[in-house]
Amino acid sequence: MVPLAIARQTVREAMRRRVMWIFLIIGVFLIALGPVFGFLNPRESTVVLKSLGLAAILLAGLFITIVTCIYLIPVEIERRTIYTVLSKPVQRYEFVLGKFLGGFTTVFINVAAMGAVFVAMMWFQTHKSSEVTLIFQGVLMTFFQLLLLAALTVFFSTFATPVVNFFLSFGIFLVGNLPSVTDSLTTSRLAVTRIAGLAIYYLLPHFGNFNMQNKIIHPESEITNTNMFMIQNVEYALIYSAVLLTLGIVIFDRREV
Amino acid sequence: MAPKIYPEDARRRSMVLLPIAAVLLLLSAVVQWQLDPVRKKIQPSGTAYMSGLNNEFLLLPLLGFREAAAGLLWVRADEFFHSGDYDAILPLVRLITWLDPHSDNVYTTGAWHLSYNFTDSSERSDRRYIPPALKLLDEGIDNNPNIPDIKFEKGWELYDKIKNFHESISAYQRAVATPITPLSDDPHYGAPLRVWHALAHAYEKAGRIPEAIGWWQQCLDRSNKTIAANKQDDFAQHEMHEAEIRNLKETEQRYRDRYKKTGHSSVNPTPYPAILAPPKGSAVPAPWVCSFHPRVEIVRPKVFKVSGRLTVADGARVDVQIADEDYKPHDVAGTLNAFNVDPTQTICVDALSVRKTRFEREIDMSRDPKMYSFTRPYYRVVLSYNTRTTSPFLQDRFGWNGEGITDVKEHVWLDPDRAKLGTRLTDAEGTGGFGPVWDGSDVKFTALGQPPRLIRVVYRVSRDDILNGRTLTDKDIVSN
Repeated sequence: MVPLAIARQTVREAMRRRVMWIFLIIGVFLIALGPVFGFLNPRESTVVLKSLGLAAILLAGLFITIVTCIYLIPVEIERRTIYTVLSKPVQRYEFVLGKFLGGFTTVFINVAAMGAVFVAMMWFQTHKSSEVTLIFQGVLMTFFQLLLLAALTVFFSTFATPVVNFFLSFGIFLVGNLPSVTDSLTTSRLAVTRIAGLAIYYLLPHFGNFNMQNKIIHPESEITNTNMFMIQNVEYALIYSAVLLTLGIVIFDRREV
Repeated sequence: MAPKIYPEDARRRSMVLLPIAAVLLLLSAVVQWQLDPVRKKIQPSGTAYMSGLNNEFLLLPLLGFREAAAGLLWVRADEFFHSGDYDAILPLVRLITWLDPHSDNVYTTGAWHLSYNFTDSSERSDRRYIPPALKLLDEGIDNNPNIPDIKFEKGWELYDKIKNFHESISAYQRAVATPITPLSDDPHYGAPLRVWHALAHAYEKAGRIPEAIGWWQQCLDRSNKTIAANKQDDFAQHEMHEAEIRNLKETEQRYRDRYKKTGHSSVNPTPYPAILAPPKGSAVPAPWVCSFHPRVEIVRPKVFKVSGRLTVADGARVDVQIADEDYKPHDVAGTLNAFNVDPTQTICVDALSVRKTRFEREIDMSRDPKMYSFTRPYYRVVLSYNTRTTSPFLQDRFGWNGEGITDVKEHVWLDPDRAKLGTRLTDAEGTGGFGPVWDGSDVKFTALGQPPRLIRVVYRVSRDDILNGRTLTDKDIVSN
């Protein structure tokens, strides 16, 4: 399997990069900072612990994803190693898929490491399996959010330079995290704004979908069917990632390298 | 420029892949449409919260971590509270509840802070903050219908701060009716036992005695079940249980002492209901004549000296309210979201202790011009003695609704608000009540009939008089 071989190599390369370890260490450090808020009353300290922990995983994961994925294809072109690869019986789509698989496996390893630290700390702090389950759900959703981001970054890396890719991916991630704002555009009185709002709302990736923190931090604010909500989110991440990768393959197919 | 020529396989591939991408994009929009209802439920819409955030807190909500930002802001609010910077807490409470509408603790603590911690230089509450506090609690209840704590806090606010026992009952009833969720403290009840106790106390304060007794009985039944199911000895549970037994017995005994001719304790050694016991030196049953003689002087600009006589035992308190003539108490409808209070509104509430039938206090409102602006042309000074809020040992003579009190100067006032009716009692016939009666035998009786009888005098005074000084006379008294 060509894409898997490329993915394996990509993970090896990515894990050798020091900057990623720095983000990972920062993430773990931020998670470990949570119990400092133990001076608050027990309920508040758990709220802060949970929200800070999930925020730390997302923040570190966000930078790890972007820093890993923006270089995946441009570096190969810059170093001209892509010629060696493509001169072998490797199709361009296999190359893109392999790079994406490698990128998101790297993200998975990092998120899993931070998630394990966080789950262990929650267990140590609360000794409640229900809390651990909720945290697991939160980490899982964060992973799929980052999977979507990885697909977006790989898509941009098929035609944009790393610097442009960084700002594009980060900008769309921010906009995609403000569904309440883009949603309010769809109810604007101006027809132009309303149409633009609808286009933005349904065409841009919805990173905000995966934010289940409120449900996790305040379990009493119930979602009618949490499992269905999570499954739909996973579906969304997979479908939208497939869209981005398909478009990425089409663009990379036509690109002169 | 010559057109680019792409490899044939790339062209063929794109002919297949582009329609697939379009279909998938459409499919993702459909999934998003399915996700929207839940997404909108857990992430409130709007952008108002963004404008009030400092740079240091802006990044987290931008990344979707509104709750993390809210948690950190709450830590900051705690720091402000301990440093005494109370004003700085209000915008933080507003931001936090916008960022995280399920933060129940912020609603309850924020409302308590608004109602209790803003005071004048004599430690009298700034009552202009009560409507925003109630509105904050209402918002919290709407956002968190499954949490009894916010409803309980509203009930307590109405009971303790506002002393509107009827509305307090409604709030506690809503708390009791909270649905059972997997996170309820008690798996069989939506609200903890303390909410049930609070409701029973509110019924008693509202003069709805059969319901108070009935509710204490229900508390007792619930406790008995819980204690029987609990194998471990729970000290707090037993304390609550003891309180229920004591309160149930006490309320029933008080009913007999106050309203019945038989079954008395040492509190009422006479053969009459206490509310009709003969006064000292008389053999004829009659209500207690309290002889309310108030005197209000404006001794300096914005300084009121309130004094007088009220012939009741020590422990009674005369309530004083000085407010704009058009003051509407606790008008939540006109309240802004941002906790802004009307700087032109003047409202001061105080309570004066009666010692050896006399009361006196100088109420200096000149030292707090921001709180007491006196910008309106006319004001009302209301002096009252409320038998529903007085001490139980005084209620032992006057009854829960003031049936056993009267006044030589006809200052007795029956509150016309039908919402405040208590239970009409058989042995209190002829004391001003109306509606169906209760003979004490059926605790399930819920109809109401007895309005509270208050001793109450209302003066109307002009702004000029408040600024120039004058002694108010009977001519300044207006109808209730």
